[in-house]
Amino acid sequence: MRKLGSAAAIGAGLLVWALGSTPGAEAALDGATVTGKVKFVGKAPANPVIDMSEEAKCAAKYTTPPRELIVQVNANGTLANVFVYVKTGLPADAKYPTPATPVEIDQNGCMYHPRVFGIMVGQTLAIKNSDGILHNIKALGKKNRPFNISQPTTMTTNRPGFAAVEVMLPFACNVHGWMHAFAGVLSHPFYSATGTDGSYSIKGLPPGTYTIEAWHEKYGTQTATVTVKAAETKTADLTFTAK
Amino acid sequence: MTRSPNLRRYLDHPFWQALGLLVLAYLVIVYGVPLLPGSSLVPSSVVLQYMVTVLVGVLIYVSDNDERWALFKQPLVAMLVEQRLRLVRILVLAVVTLLVGWVTFGQVRTTVAAPPNLRSIHPAPPAEVTFRGKTMTLTGLENPLRQQPESLAAFTAYGKEIYYQNCLPCHGDHLDGLGHFAAGFNPLPANFQDNGTIAQLTESFVFWRVAKGGPGLPREGTPWNSAMPRWEDFLTERQIWAVILFLYDQTGWKPRTWEKAEGGAK
Amino acid sequence: MRVGLIGALAVFLSVSPTVRLSAQDTTAGKTVYVKWCAGCHGETGDGKGVAALYMLPRPRDFTGAVYKIRTTASGQLPTDADLMRAIDEGLPGTAMPAWQTRLSDGERRNVMAYLKTFSSFFSDTSQHPQLLKFSSEPGGGTGAEALRVGRQFYDSIHCYKCHGPQGRGDGPSAPDLKDDPGQPILAADLHENWRFRGGATAEDIYRQLRTGLDGTPMPSFSDLLDQKFLTEEQLWRVAQYVRSLSPPKAPEVRDVIHARQIAGTLPVSPDDSAWSRVDDYYFPLVGQIIRKPRWFAPAVAAIWVQALHNGNAIAVRLTWDDRSQSPDTGWNKYTRRLLQTMASDDSGPQTLAPWPDQLAVQFPPKIPEGMERPYFLMGSNSGSVYQWRWRSAPRGAVAGLARGIDRFDTLPPASGPAARAVWDHGQWRVVFTRTLATADTANELQFAVGRAIPVAFFAWDGSSAERDTRMALSTWYFLALDQPTPPGTFISPVIAMVVTLGLGMLVVVRAQRRDGRRAAARG
Repeated sequence: MRKLGSAAAIGAGLLVWALGSTPGAEAALDGATVTGKVKFVGKAPANPVIDMSEEAKCAAKYTTPPRELIVQVNANGTLANVFVYVKTGLPADAKYPTPATPVEIDQNGCMYHPRVFGIMVGQTLAIKNSDGILHNIKALGKKNRPFNISQPTTMTTNRPGFAAVEVMLPFACNVHGWMHAFAGVLSHPFYSATGTDGSYSIKGLPPGTYTIEAWHEKYGTQTATVTVKAAETKTADLTFTAK
Repeated sequence: MTRSPNLRRYLDHPFWQALGLLVLAYLVIVYGVPLLPGSSLVPSSVVLQYMVTVLVGVLIYVSDNDERWALFKQPLVAMLVEQRLRLVRILVLAVVTLLVGWVTFGQVRTTVAAPPNLRSIHPAPPAEVTFRGKTMTLTGLENPLRQQPESLAAFTAYGKEIYYQNCLPCHGDHLDGLGHFAAGFNPLPANFQDNGTIAQLTESFVFWRVAKGGPGLPREGTPWNSAMPRWEDFLTERQIWAVILFLYDQTGWKPRTWEKAEGGAK
Repeated sequence: MRVGLIGALAVFLSVSPTVRLSAQDTTAGKTVYVKWCAGCHGETGDGKGVAALYMLPRPRDFTGAVYKIRTTASGQLPTDADLMRAIDEGLPGTAMPAWQTRLSDGERRNVMAYLKTFSSFFSDTSQHPQLLKFSSEPGGGTGAEALRVGRQFYDSIHCYKCHGPQGRGDGPSAPDLKDDPGQPILAADLHENWRFRGGATAEDIYRQLRTGLDGTPMPSFSDLLDQKFLTEEQLWRVAQYVRSLSPPKAPEVRDVIHARQIAGTLPVSPDDSAWSRVDDYYFPLVGQIIRKPRWFAPAVAAIWVQALHNGNAIAVRLTWDDRSQSPDTGWNKYTRRLLQTMASDDSGPQTLAPWPDQLAVQFPPKIPEGMERPYFLMGSNSGSVYQWRWRSAPRGAVAGLARGIDRFDTLPPASGPAARAVWDHGQWRVVFTRTLATADTANELQFAVGRAIPVAFFAWDGSSAERDTRMALSTWYFLALDQPTPPGTFISPVIAMVVTLGLGMLVVVRAQRRDGRRAAARG
């Protein structure tokens, strides 16, 4: 197995996400776009080092001691693993088709890839175990039924879609207490998660005024209000400050 | 079907009837009785007692009538005399002999058993106790919280809270002395649902037992074995009276009052 | 068989059209609930009743409708039959008792209907609990081949990660486990099936493997069947293997530990093969909640005791399951979580320290003549107790006199006891040895054969923050040093047998003679 740096791993995860679930692909051509960066101000706390000594197969995938990527600040001063989505402003009665392609979450190097992602209500979640060692994946929803399944080998399990909107729905592995992921379950496709460049992009929006919310697992939420016309692209940067 | 006349013959025969009755009685006592609601396993000494009673009854029945008695003896005599039953005869003799030997051995063998624990469940309470330095006369003492009927429900609810936070591990959700910690204790924690505990006692007696716990028992109450804490160290006087209200309320028992108990519940 | 029955019942319940709960049902259920359930589960069903802080595991929070014991797939609602089973039979190893004996059928059904109203999931018509199809148990489940296959798949589906290689709940992931609300939770000790929440049989274990225990770290293994990673039979073998780790019958408490007399040297090593031939006595231990600070979450659930003597010295082997060899920093996460979770009489914050594992065996200083003994909880000012105390770090044992829970005076080490200990995959085995007689007859118990010697046990698990009054305890039991049966004892049984045989022969001979005469008379 190729050795992955943690940043590369996130990149790969993001790629998977991008290929698997780019929202808005089927949206109207005259849709507006909201884009921007999620900036980070202040001194980032050190992420905890993971003791992977019990899992030689995972530990071998890292050249430097792996860390739990709770606060991942990019080189350009932006924050990765932020979930950005349209919180309010969409027509109440609008219905959006559920994508047929599943969203994939991979357990690789005893980490979830991606760590933060969006999924539509009813969309299949493909849970992949690339490690080939025992993982259990536990969904800890409050609005959705929590489940807990075992994957002791290389395999992919397709879970039927989540039934209710929930931002965010945490995932955890009990075998490896450091493994955490978060999904934003939404009834519309207007969401995005930041990666190594800290940018997000929400495409295909109908004209209107929207509240955009950015969610981070440690720093909570930030909001911005944006008004867009048809086919317009607007920038809305969001900022998180170290506590 | 060809066997049925044969079977009939056995069913009508007093010896096999008697044997069948004994077997049936044994099965009912050992396996049937524990299935009845509210029953538990029958101790072996009681099983023996029941079986002796059944045996006597059966013997009276078979010997009541000369003809039946003769018929009853038939298989026994046959076992003793007939050549074809020689093997059965030897077997019966051997089994009876060995059984007698084993029982006698069991009687004379010296094994150490737990010494009898002669424990007075409700020892006589003192006339007065000192509760956190305050002298309280138990004789004639009523639960003071009952003087305020308008607040009784609130006091009972308070008592419930105290019970759940303190008493539950041993005395249990059912108040039957079978809480999740009860298995560790001998004697078992008091069963308040039983008609022999709080149903028989005045509230002042219960107050004394709660306040002073195991260490406050007189010698005949085997204080060294009791896991009941001295609640005086944890709860106030009011809290103890409240928890007593709850015990009676939840079980539906009524405390004995001093008018009725006078002299009796010393 | 039970799985089949429950399954059938559940199928019946799920097939029958959803019965709308009438208002009457839930109102009647509420009365019962408030009286009997709310103390632990809370008036609002959130599992935060007044007693909740005093128990571990915590009472179920009904608002999330997440249940451990089900016949449905992971993530799904339980069936009514699943809920009824928990109410009727309780959850072994927890504070939840069986309600069958206390409440009527109607009351229990009503309370079940009422507790479903705490969660909107039950009224959500899009929730369709899907019953898992359970296969029936393949035979030969206790045979060597079945157990070998079971063990093989126990390893290949990585049960040991949490439950440990020997199944005592000491796996590498064990210290980090928490349930969904974030409270500490231990992987089950698979050697104590009478404490399994969902039942003790192989069927029960198989069912738990299929459904998982929702709300806990125990996942469902059903997907592995769908993906052909293992077969139904192999999963059954895992269940049968797990079942085989516990004794065939739940152990019963016997009051008197008999120490057989042997000739020659006593086995002083905890793993001497001689111990496998010695009768084993089981004693449940419970939390110390008599003196402050109290302890409501004792780690050591039971202790097994064996004893032998040779007329000159006594050896006592104590065996108990303990997931950690304390102090072990690997368990700090668990310790911290436990300290945050459990109610305490202590004031001030609880800080972590490297507490060792400890064990105490307690005797009176003298064998009592009457029934009177010192106070079981480590004696009192007026009556001391003689104790052997062992600790894991620094490893060793001392004897001493306790005069109450907080006073222990060590005796000079001259007369022992000696102790040897082994920690092996979640189990401590400690052998104490001492001469029956010692020089200090005033303070040290002088063991005598043929007497009932009171004995009690106390155990501490350092990784569960247990020390001092935070411990697991027993009340008084007895230890008896048996003697080989003297030949004289056999005289009376032999006489009795000879007399019986003689009388029997006499009866036979007389009956035959009478019969002979009768035959002659007829002839």
